[in-house]
Amino acid sequence: MAKSFKLSVITPSKIFYEGDVELLVVPTLEGEEGFMANHSWATKLLNVGEMAVQEAGKSDFRIASIAGGFIDVKDSVILYADHAEWAEEIDKQRAQKDKEFAEEWLSKNKGEKDEYSVRRAEVALKKAISRLNVANGGRRGI
Amino acid sequence: MAVSMQDVKRRIKSVTSMEHITNAMKLVSAAKLRRAKATFEQTNKQLHFITDTIGEIFTSTTNIPEEYLEGNREIKNTCYIILTSSKGLCGGFNSNVIRKAEEAMRVRKSVPKIVAVGSKGRDYFAKEGIEIIGDYEDPPETISFLATQQLSRPIIKMYEDGEIDEVVLVYTAYLSTIDQQATAIRMLPFQPEKNANVMMHDKDIEYGPSMEAVFNYLVPKYVETMVYNAIVESATCEHAARRMAMENATDNARDMLQELSLNYNRARQAAITNQLIEIVSGSEAQK
Repeated sequence: MAKSFKLSVITPSKIFYEGDVELLVVPTLEGEEGFMANHSWATKLLNVGEMAVQEAGKSDFRIASIAGGFIDVKDSVILYADHAEWAEEIDKQRAQKDKEFAEEWLSKNKGEKDEYSVRRAEVALKKAISRLNVANGGRRGI
Repeated sequence: MAVSMQDVKRRIKSVTSMEHITNAMKLVSAAKLRRAKATFEQTNKQLHFITDTIGEIFTSTTNIPEEYLEGNREIKNTCYIILTSSKGLCGGFNSNVIRKAEEAMRVRKSVPKIVAVGSKGRDYFAKEGIEIIGDYEDPPETISFLATQQLSRPIIKMYEDGEIDEVVLVYTAYLSTIDQQATAIRMLPFQPEKNANVMMHDKDIEYGPSMEAVFNYLVPKYVETMVYNAIVESATCEHAARRMAMENATDNARDMLQELSLNYNRARQAAITNQLIEIVSGSEAQK
């Protein structure tokens, strides 16, 4: 059994997760990255995507959809995300609706000058897609 | 006895209805306080996580981009984020914050610019002729994190563009239900604390994708969470202050009622005595 470390996942509205985990896989801006105990200290920014944790003593992964944030790796790990949801909590229909809404908005406002709204819509689309993926079992097909 | 029964009765009536109002407001703000306090305690717990983490990152590394550090530019314009309420009847809550802000402005002597949360502070400083660069007016206890982001983003942008050189947050800190204190803290630029609590370490930290990117993300995040936390805290204080003010008002009204009903009874007795004298002296004259 691999050594475990303490992970806290925090969102603006609540403490999303606290516990001992063996392996944490998160989407950083440079791609997927896995962290195990005794990782060298790091501070990295996160992308929208899928977070997978393997809790201490278990063989399967729990996956959640997270939306941006940062991870602070020291002897224990603190992960801050703007939004986080476990796979089983995701409302698929709402995610689907959000996705369609964002797609529609983007196609309608193609030549939009307001960069900020376009970026927001793109992020919303990414979030919806990531939530759908996670709800459907994620990349690992769990 | 100069006071007429009619007058006293009228006053009793008005004070009674006033007492009803203040008492009802007291109950309402007590309920709101309870709710706000629950939110505050929860957000405080987790936001401290974030601010502590970020603070730790800032203090434990020596390579923060210079623009965010103290002493790298002359402070000409200071932005004050002032958290007051939008409603009155909360005792000294707003005046304490305003006084604290004015004190901070006097000490600094730089040109003040204001971002006002709550209309009381905005109106006051607008009358003083100080430039208001942003405001938020809805009830603070319902503010969302997104609204905080929209509020703080322009501030950070102006700081980066050099339009403001310092950001000071003036809000009411919650100490207990009966004790709140107006506080002014400086958010930007950072003063790296060289205290013993923060361990200096010599470990290399990996930054991804790059150190600049990390700091460019963390600084706004830090400001946003600080502002969010302060707004929630200040909302809690507002309700606590209003509850206290209304409790005092209710107590005063009750004292007044007691005194007034004493006066009323005296006036009533005096009237009866007068009438008796009239009847007795009338029948005396008939004999």
